[in-house]
Amino acid sequence: MNQKVFAPWDDPNQKPLIQFQNVTKKFGTFTAIDDLSLDIYEREFFALLGPSGCGKTTMMRMLAGFETPTSGTIRLSGQDLGQTAPNKRAVNMMFQSYALFPHLSVWENIAFGLKRESTDKDAIAARVEEMLRLTRLGKFAKRKPHQISGGQRQRVALARSLAKSPKLLLLDEPLGALDKKLREETQFELMDIQEKTGTTFVIVTHDQEEAMTVASRVAVMDEGRLVQVATPADIYEAPNSVYVADFIGDVNIIEGNATPNGDRVRIDWAEGQPEIWGTAQKPVASGERISFAIRPEKVTISKEKPEDRRNLLEGEVIDIAYLGNISTFHVKVGNGQIIKAQSANTRRLANRDITWEDRVWLTFTETAGVLLEG
Amino acid sequence: MRRFSWFNATSLTLGFAFLYLPMVILVIYSFNASKLVTVWAGFSTKWYGELLQNEDFLDAAWVTIRVAFFSSVLATVLGTMAATVLVRAGRFMGRGLFSGMIYAPLVMPEVITGLSLLLLFIGIGLDRGVFTIVLAHTTFAMCYVSVVVSSRLVSFDKSLEEAALDLGCTPFQAFRLVTLPIIAPAVISGWLLAFTLSLDDLVIASFTTGPSATTLPIKIFSAVRLGVSPEINALSTIMISVVTVGVITASILSKRSAVAQQRDEQAATQATG
Amino acid sequence: MRRFTLIAVPYLWLLALFLVPFLIVLKISLSDYALSIPPYAPTLDFSAGWQGIKDLMSKLDFENYVFLTEDALYWKAYLSSLKIALISTVLTLLVGYPIAYGMARAAPEWRPTLLMLVILPFWTSFLIRVYAWMGILASEGVLYQFLSFLGIVDEPLKILSTNTAVYIGIVYTYLPFMILPIYAALEKMDDSLIEAAEDLGCSRMSAFWLITIPLSKSGIIAGCFLVFIPTIGEFVIPSLLGGSDTLMIGKVLWEEFFSNRDWPVASAVAIILLLILVIPIVLFQRNQQLQREAEG
Repeated sequence: MNQKVFAPWDDPNQKPLIQFQNVTKKFGTFTAIDDLSLDIYEREFFALLGPSGCGKTTMMRMLAGFETPTSGTIRLSGQDLGQTAPNKRAVNMMFQSYALFPHLSVWENIAFGLKRESTDKDAIAARVEEMLRLTRLGKFAKRKPHQISGGQRQRVALARSLAKSPKLLLLDEPLGALDKKLREETQFELMDIQEKTGTTFVIVTHDQEEAMTVASRVAVMDEGRLVQVATPADIYEAPNSVYVADFIGDVNIIEGNATPNGDRVRIDWAEGQPEIWGTAQKPVASGERISFAIRPEKVTISKEKPEDRRNLLEGEVIDIAYLGNISTFHVKVGNGQIIKAQSANTRRLANRDITWEDRVWLTFTETAGVLLEG
Repeated sequence: MRRFSWFNATSLTLGFAFLYLPMVILVIYSFNASKLVTVWAGFSTKWYGELLQNEDFLDAAWVTIRVAFFSSVLATVLGTMAATVLVRAGRFMGRGLFSGMIYAPLVMPEVITGLSLLLLFIGIGLDRGVFTIVLAHTTFAMCYVSVVVSSRLVSFDKSLEEAALDLGCTPFQAFRLVTLPIIAPAVISGWLLAFTLSLDDLVIASFTTGPSATTLPIKIFSAVRLGVSPEINALSTIMISVVTVGVITASILSKRSAVAQQRDEQAATQATG
Repeated sequence: MRRFTLIAVPYLWLLALFLVPFLIVLKISLSDYALSIPPYAPTLDFSAGWQGIKDLMSKLDFENYVFLTEDALYWKAYLSSLKIALISTVLTLLVGYPIAYGMARAAPEWRPTLLMLVILPFWTSFLIRVYAWMGILASEGVLYQFLSFLGIVDEPLKILSTNTAVYIGIVYTYLPFMILPIYAALEKMDDSLIEAAEDLGCSRMSAFWLITIPLSKSGIIAGCFLVFIPTIGEFVIPSLLGGSDTLMIGKVLWEEFFSNRDWPVASAVAIILLLILVIPIVLFQRNQQLQREAEG
């Protein structure tokens, strides 16, 4: 591999662009951010992901300067942001509501920030034109925000916040107001623009698919803390907790008692059911209560009993969710637990043989799932 | 998170002091034992006693209340009809003139409205008195009522009326059974507005009344033209208290019904969900 | 049939009690003053039929209007009404805007109460609110006592019966008309617009001038017209708070009618007043129209 993978967080020589150091933010008695430390590197597309109220918006507003930390420091390029006012930071923000000025045209909206720091009309005009080209808005320059579509408004907001070439661009649920199809298109556009401009993006979202698609790294947040910070693939394949596994995508969680056996772990999870074998990522104590998490697409479903092997469960199909490209089968196994299995619909509907109330067999490999504490 | 600065707090405090201090001072001085505004001679309620023995004021109050009652009821009926015409009747001959006549009195200076009505009453030889004031007040108050009611009618979901028609109502029944109950709050506030406008009016009443009927504002005006009078202070205090109690009661009642409605809706969603 | 009644009743009422009286004013303004009852000539003779109307038309003229232009009192009164209305509108804006702004920035749970406090004076008698200032502004009134207590003044105030008192009275009574539309405009404004402006490099002050003021423009315009239009024809305030030199057209009309009993001239004064009012009213309507379009 000649091409170096973009992973500054693994390189100890890299200096982070943004550093949160033991940052706590309280609103009255409510703790929004709880002793949080985090490094974000230059040119990263960093996603803050979590349910509403997890503190992700507060993190962003502290970066923009609309909130100040109760304790701890936030550094940008090594410098303490401290009490620096929002209008004095090399940080720009794209607002969830877009916050386009309704009395100004698209052109004037984009020029707004530039006019604050410069009086060079030609330079401003050139920069605005560049932004209009980048976001393909040239035709709409003279229109007012209420005269263009939602997707175009989103691009105006992006162009406006990028116009001042900030060191850091904050995006607060940037695609929340768009419909699904447009959102998917725009995700790629955002990545494209991020790559072209080389700006560091921090995006706040509650949509895990969006975070997975656009981000170089994702931080999963819960109640003011970081639960896991990792690449999308690691978050999905190797979640570090039941919370993350459950928050990202669909997952089956099976609880049981662990017995280590070499590099494998045996899990006894229900009376009269065959035990489950998994692979330990870290040492497990014998008899420890443990959660086994496995993604539905890693569970194979079949009507014929496969040859005897480990991780073979028998059950009855009680529900089928047909999603077009895939189907999810809800299978009730012996002890009453529902286990979801997914299969790709490679054949047409009429040719598929598994249906409601069928007896089926579920199998998965010993490395397919992850073992999580608790 | 909202930035509520000292500037805002100061401007609100000063602003509301400006709005309310004059009335507070008026109320305080109504309990002044002295006849002069310049001297505070101790607490006394004697001006209230004198006021209640003043036949002229009591007569004028009675005239005012009668005028306000009849004109506000008439104005509410006519104004609601006019609002329905404006919003619902579609096209008809002279529609432009009609809506013009609804909106014009709202911006017409009172002196002109009063003058023109007086000239009409003289022209047709109508004896001026309570009846002519009621006619005059009804005319300008109905325009206010129709503006209040039509703004509610515009936002009213027409499919409700259509549903009533679909279920077998005649248009009149649909209006009475469906539309009217829903726009009732607007009709009531229109009526209140008409009543207050009539109570309050000096200029139009002065033009359209005759020697037989003197309303309270006319009486007050002729009394205060000559200067401050402690009896008028007492009268003002009574009027201010009535209005304050009325408005506060109304707002508490409407808030309570809003809260009750919210609670009912919550209970309903919990029961079904 | 019911539809016909529904339209006809309010229509006829307004025709008879709004339009016809107005036409009568117009007609009398073209008649001559006469020492008779009614005190003008000619009168319409219905019994003469069409011929009567023709006779009437031939006798009408613009004499009263010519008189209005010749007598300095009248056009001075119009000009001074406009001046007083203009100055007091600006004053009301200066007093009202900070209040409306403070209300819009107050905590949401406080806003209904603040709104009620602004509306409450509407329901109290206009006359009484004007009267309240007489006791305050009188030469040895409450304000004088307060200021002399503080040692600021030592001789009686000369405010009552001057134009200053009229300005105070107008600002006081019309303040809610200014506050409400501005508050409505400011309250609708999204807070994140100000944050966006600051994020893009504005100081608080420049964000206020570049964003808040332009976005409350429609409210400012509406408020100004709502104060300006009724102030021009105001009668109660100049007659209670103003002095003998306070010239306002509403007061002139009243005196012309009740004291001089010159009905034709009073009518002509009224017609000119209406013509003057048409311009701001049309402008006001346009502003409202534009605002509705912007929102719709």
